[in-house]
Amino acid sequence: MASTDFTALKGRAWQFGDNVPTDQIVATNIVFSPMDVVLKHVLEELKPEFPAQVKPGDIIVAGHHFGQSSGRAIAPKAIQAAGVACIVAESFARTFLRNCFEIGMPIIECRGAGTLAGDGDVVSVDLASGRISNETRGVTLQGRPVDAFLLNMLKAGGIIPLVKQTGADLGAGRA
Amino acid sequence: MALATAGQRAAISWLRSHSESKGSVATMNMIEKILARASGRKTAEPGDVVVAEVDCALLHDLSARSCREVFEKKVGGAMAHPERIITVFDHQFSPPTEDKATILRANREFCYRYGMPLYDCGSGNIHNVAVQNGHIKPGALVVGSDSHSPVQGVMGCFCAALGNDSYAATVMPFSKAWFRVPETIRVELTGQTKPGTTPRDVALWLCATIGEGKLNYQAIKFCGEYIDSLLFWDRWLFPLMAVDVGAKCAYIEPDQTTIAFANSVGVTDFEIVRDDPGTQFAASWRWNVSDLEPQICFPPTVGNVAPIRDYVGTPIQWAELGGHGGGRLLDIEMAARVVAQRPKHERVNFNLVPGNRHVLAEAIKSGDAALLHERGGTWFPASTGSNQAVNMGAMAAGETMISTHVRNFPGRNGSPKANMFLASALTVAAAATAGKIVDPREFI
Repeated sequence: MASTDFTALKGRAWQFGDNVPTDQIVATNIVFSPMDVVLKHVLEELKPEFPAQVKPGDIIVAGHHFGQSSGRAIAPKAIQAAGVACIVAESFARTFLRNCFEIGMPIIECRGAGTLAGDGDVVSVDLASGRISNETRGVTLQGRPVDAFLLNMLKAGGIIPLVKQTGADLGAGRA
Repeated sequence: MALATAGQRAAISWLRSHSESKGSVATMNMIEKILARASGRKTAEPGDVVVAEVDCALLHDLSARSCREVFEKKVGGAMAHPERIITVFDHQFSPPTEDKATILRANREFCYRYGMPLYDCGSGNIHNVAVQNGHIKPGALVVGSDSHSPVQGVMGCFCAALGNDSYAATVMPFSKAWFRVPETIRVELTGQTKPGTTPRDVALWLCATIGEGKLNYQAIKFCGEYIDSLLFWDRWLFPLMAVDVGAKCAYIEPDQTTIAFANSVGVTDFEIVRDDPGTQFAASWRWNVSDLEPQICFPPTVGNVAPIRDYVGTPIQWAELGGHGGGRLLDIEMAARVVAQRPKHERVNFNLVPGNRHVLAEAIKSGDAALLHERGGTWFPASTGSNQAVNMGAMAAGETMISTHVRNFPGRNGSPKANMFLASALTVAAAATAGKIVDPREFI
């Protein structure tokens, strides 16, 4: 499958561990604050330098069960608003995964993601083929390609714009 | 205690189900049948993406706000079935600030404007209120906004959590939602526990034994003689923990216990859906619970569970019956039996939070409410209690709470340097009387 611009991503890595809860992405005491306030604290409990140093196009690389806890889309929206281009993880909590695709935030599952990269390594991702490379270390892994239905949702920019294109059936079965 | 390791059993079962299923007539389990029916299909197999009709959707005050804001800003227009969207103000039993009052008022007016049923402040916690008030029917397709929504599978229905944008984009306008049909893991529990080990202890232990996030995206079927023998409200504790092992949904096949409970809350019009005979599962695991001691979940996450003896002597300042895992009438009854023997410790605050108004009404009738009050407990309005410390339950650095809640992540209850232990109502009440974690078997 040929890569298109929206499926091929490349950026600077930020590494996180296993079971990162939404409560540590956006702390419960600021979860309903305006996004400019949230952005000053996103992921700071795990990496205090993250809010000040994250740049548009950066890629989060993490272990298992990323985004557990709250089912609200606030944590993925905060990561998206911080400019992160993609999250690569061994696995995601399912509400977090669902929320990411529904807001148009690219994510991909990849065995070995937890140890793929250190902070600052350059990582490239192809959502359609599932190929993920640490270009700094010269290591390539095969992740789980994002399936057509969800790629279509990402391409539309999320579930709300997708519904405007497809109507209530979301193009399921047609993708 | 496991007959084989989870990994071994998974591998064996996967091979068996995938080699036998080819060419045979497709059988479906309860989840697959509900998803197929609701999406107008004859069959639904793991991996299929379906868009299904939603019979009931649940929102609490926090998620109602997020969903309302997305719906109003980005979608708008009419709702297909507003009467199916149930809102429960459960994190706030009374808004503590003007800002929060303003948000609750906007949520309330949103419900009134569209004709969505509202359970206002003081009604109880979202899941408990929904089932007690007859909104959850066997065989139904239910969606929730709260991450512990899989709990409703106790009723023999499908229930999974969705995010804000699903609600705004498809649930509100069309009464529909998309799902990927999950693989299902069969978890069978055999044996009977000894006195002092409650279903909550078994559920905590099972969560840690399976492992946090280990059943990501999958469904769980809970079955076996132990599950079958439990009261409806004790069965509740098993699908409740499904999200903590990562599962999308969980279920207990509906039986006489389910039907009797449904009827007791006025639900009589429903269709019983059960697994097809001979259904294959992605994996089948079995555990015997007979030798299990009382358990405790210790910080910082729900996957950290140990026999209570490992933490006996740990001082506590707060004890709470409440939240999604507590505040059931059964919890109040257990606590009453404990405080009848010894009053609350003078240096502990013992919070009592009914899961819904019916629980408090029954506790008043039985005399347990008065007994717990007289022995030092503090009653709070029916709500989700200290969950996320929205309305109550913040702790200072160094403080420790033991509760029936379902989460213990640092920072969820005030200081990230406070500690939350999760346990059965029996263990929580025992600790409340002792001022420290104790083995609850001394009270039985």
